[in-house]
Amino acid sequence: MGTALLATSVAVANSAAAAEMNWRQFEGTTITWAYDIHPYADALSAELPEFEKLTGIKVTPELYPDDSYWSKMTIQLTTKSPAWDVFGTGIQPAWDLAPSGAIEPLNKYLNDPTLTDASYDYNDFFPALRSALTWKMEDGQIAPGEGGEVWAIPHAFENIQLFYRKDILDNYQIAVPTTPPEMAAACEKLKAADPKITPLGVRGVRFWSSIHTAAVSIAQSYGVKDWVMKDGKLDTGLDSPESIAFHKDYVDMIKKCAAPSFANDNWYQVVDGISSGRTAMAIDSNMFGFWNDVKGQPASGKIAFAPPLHAPNAKSFNSNIWIWSLAMNAASEKKGAAWLFMQWATSKKVTLAGAVTGKLVNPPRTSTWADKAWIDYASQPEFNNFVESFKTTQDQAALAFTPRVGFGEAMNAWAVAMQKMVNGDDVETTLHALAEEVRAGL
Amino acid sequence: MTSHVSKVVSLRSEAPSAPTFQAAETENAERKVDWVSLLVIAPAILILLGFLALFFYGVYQSLTDMRLGRPVVRFVGFANYIALMKTSDFWNSVRVTVVYALSTVFIEALIGLAIAKLFATGVTLARWLRPFILLPLVLPPMSVALMWTTMMNPQSGILNYFFSLVGMGPFSWISSPTTALISIILIDVWTYTPFFALIIFAGLQGITDDLREAARINGARSWATFINIELPLVAPYILIAAVFRLIESFNQFDIIFGTTQGGPGNSTSALSVQAYISAFQNLTFGRGAAMMVVNWLIVLIGATLMVRAWQAVRRRVN
Repeated sequence: MGTALLATSVAVANSAAAAEMNWRQFEGTTITWAYDIHPYADALSAELPEFEKLTGIKVTPELYPDDSYWSKMTIQLTTKSPAWDVFGTGIQPAWDLAPSGAIEPLNKYLNDPTLTDASYDYNDFFPALRSALTWKMEDGQIAPGEGGEVWAIPHAFENIQLFYRKDILDNYQIAVPTTPPEMAAACEKLKAADPKITPLGVRGVRFWSSIHTAAVSIAQSYGVKDWVMKDGKLDTGLDSPESIAFHKDYVDMIKKCAAPSFANDNWYQVVDGISSGRTAMAIDSNMFGFWNDVKGQPASGKIAFAPPLHAPNAKSFNSNIWIWSLAMNAASEKKGAAWLFMQWATSKKVTLAGAVTGKLVNPPRTSTWADKAWIDYASQPEFNNFVESFKTTQDQAALAFTPRVGFGEAMNAWAVAMQKMVNGDDVETTLHALAEEVRAGL
Repeated sequence: MTSHVSKVVSLRSEAPSAPTFQAAETENAERKVDWVSLLVIAPAILILLGFLALFFYGVYQSLTDMRLGRPVVRFVGFANYIALMKTSDFWNSVRVTVVYALSTVFIEALIGLAIAKLFATGVTLARWLRPFILLPLVLPPMSVALMWTTMMNPQSGILNYFFSLVGMGPFSWISSPTTALISIILIDVWTYTPFFALIIFAGLQGITDDLREAARINGARSWATFINIELPLVAPYILIAAVFRLIESFNQFDIIFGTTQGGPGNSTSALSVQAYISAFQNLTFGRGAAMMVVNWLIVLIGATLMVRAWQAVRRRVN
């Protein structure tokens, strides 16, 4: 996979460097860019006048609330509507959309020197991000590996970390936990010291997004695989001994640590808890901690970072990633202009500009992380150990799910099963039932 | 207009002289078509056909393995229905749907009746309260769901705070599988009871004072007057409100999805919510459509029974 990606990347980089490209070749065009209402969208919106000045292309942003954006995107793309030219997506939604040809593969644009600026440097994106967004379609299924197509360009990304209120842990002299049993013990100590504090904020909603943060990151360190090959046949690993061991520890931890409203908690409840100080720790996307450390925020300077928890007998931790990416609608009638916008929006300059305003965090380019302006900004005292923790975590951060069409169905079932186990259902029985349900969907 | 329309298409045939000539005579029947009338009602027929076509397209989708994002769609007959019926989750969804709808309608009718009766008394306080009691009805259901989600938070919600003042709780509300269904029924009751109150109040207003006066002169107490005179007279109003509310409750989505998304576990996964999750989150559109067809059948049966009850009561009252 890595070699194949390198080969693709090198090819992309070489051909793009060969000639000059004209940024004004689609002057006068108007394109529509759809995205979630998100600080990442704010960062890009702030720079749009620069793009319009550079290219003469007018960009109409269409921003939707998070809850409705994903359904809107699915409908818009599966009905082959040309209304959107560029849209924001994550990797997992792209897996489900790619088989129908709803997403435009991007290699031909990246490889065309008349369309891609020589300074673009696609290889500058973190390898884990490029790898996650590169695959080919084989018999309607995702096949990562040699000769894959690039389906979207990273715009910004999140890695999963443990972030915590320094003031609370210091006050009660609690060491930062590293494993679920340690976390469970810390939670009991915290609860005994102050029953009003929720020790740990974790997503628990009935949707796969609650699996993709804490659960799957920690599960990986226990050796849990969502999908495995058994006797040459695809099977789920969710009822494996490793999975049972993980779930027993995780469910016990959630019972001792999470809020009673766990089943209704999404990322906004997690963020609200940590920023208000009602929650002492959280395992979620690291930039939520960063944004609440920004000067002027109520929790500024109080949130510090650590890698996610890992299995007690594991040598290291794992961290899942979520990549906000820009993709092109295959039904777009303005693909050239759309590509120029995507290219500009993910360029070194715009990425850095978004990062140093504190919005485009984490920036997906390695060059940004080597840039003094960004490092100076992110190393300010209020961000505590954000940079160090990012670097430590990023070494181990990668996509934790097996790329697969039909991902949502199986992972949503996992989220429902997790709620059942947290509410008292037997772990082994529930996991066997979950595995049967997942197998039935194959 | 009615008689005119009834003559739009008329078949006139002569009496057959022998059975063997019947087929031939039918073929020769003179067909008179009133084209002007047909033209006038054509838009209505087209709109009706459009609605029906969409509905039957939905039914067709439920007979396919349609997946959003997959280009190939195959006809699979009743495979989606059979697969659904084999799972306990599906039957749980049917149970949740029916329990939710029947409970909400029953409780709303009872409380709505009490409120309507209070309004009908003309007490000053009741007159003042009248405009406010209707407020929940004009709120968007999704806003209602978000508002109640906050209020029902076991830790920071205002409901548990109020209960704590009298030494009760804390309750888990929508966060526990044992109380989640009751909690969302409570939200529905809060939202839609005013609808019942409004309709029943209109019914009570229609009862002339002569009847109450006659009952009073004959020695009937107010409770007996209410049970034996007022209640039978407003029963058709209660039932017609129940028909509308039953249909809405069977299809309820916003309140359930906005609060629990069908959880915890599957404790509130009504068919409408599970169909949405199947179609738009799992992208298994065919299976989602099958669930909606089942939901439609439940609505049809429920509404038919309620309409029959309403007709029977109305006949009795008349």
